[in-house]
Amino acid sequence: MEVSRTGEKMDPIVEAYKKEIDRTLIRENLRRTVQERFENLMELQRLADELRRAGKKLEEIP
Amino acid sequence: MTRFDQLLSVLVRHGVQFIIVGGAAATVHGSARLTQDLDIVYHRTDENLERLIRSLAPYQPYLRGAPPNLPFKWNKETVQAGLNFTLITSLGAIDLLGEITGGGTYENLLPDSVQIQVFGIECMCLSLKRLIEVKKATGRVRDFEAIAELEAILEEKKRSGI
Repeated sequence: MEVSRTGEKMDPIVEAYKKEIDRTLIRENLRRTVQERFENLMELQRLADELRRAGKKLEEIP
Repeated sequence: MTRFDQLLSVLVRHGVQFIIVGGAAATVHGSARLTQDLDIVYHRTDENLERLIRSLAPYQPYLRGAPPNLPFKWNKETVQAGLNFTLITSLGAIDLLGEITGGGTYENLLPDSVQIQVFGIECMCLSLKRLIEVKKATGRVRDFEAIAELEAILEEKKRSGI
């Protein structure tokens, strides 16, 4: 297993996934308070529920 | 939708000893991933079980995904007889965990937890480093992406001195 510059073991699979992570989203979240992060999560859940409902309606259309 | 604000407030108001783990803990630390439920590791003392039962009782806890009308009773005997419960309540989905793979019990995890302030309350949340260790210990393929994001958060925090 490879070792990072700071001496930590690096998992090649995790490192491969890490390349795909959108760090702008992380930076944006780190600027938020914990409460704002939860509020954002609940908003995302609300949106996901809406999309699921819309998807179900589409399935009902003959 | 899971009302994280109300679930956490209800637990704290009843004095339940618990630690936020899983996806909700990842949210606390800055994850942008969508999680559907609140995962908590609860202290398995008699007094805490009673507090836990009392806190959730008004919100009709029931086994998530189970067929309706099962003889599930939300009481101390039920919780004592089991360890981990995947529940749905009128406030949303909550997983009550007596212990977790790679992390152990409430007592094991408490030294690696941090106190957070949110929604006007204070509660404990697993530290970012420990959360990564626990996720790695579970060894689930679906966690690789989550681990990668958590490690990226750790790197970003170090980089920006947070």
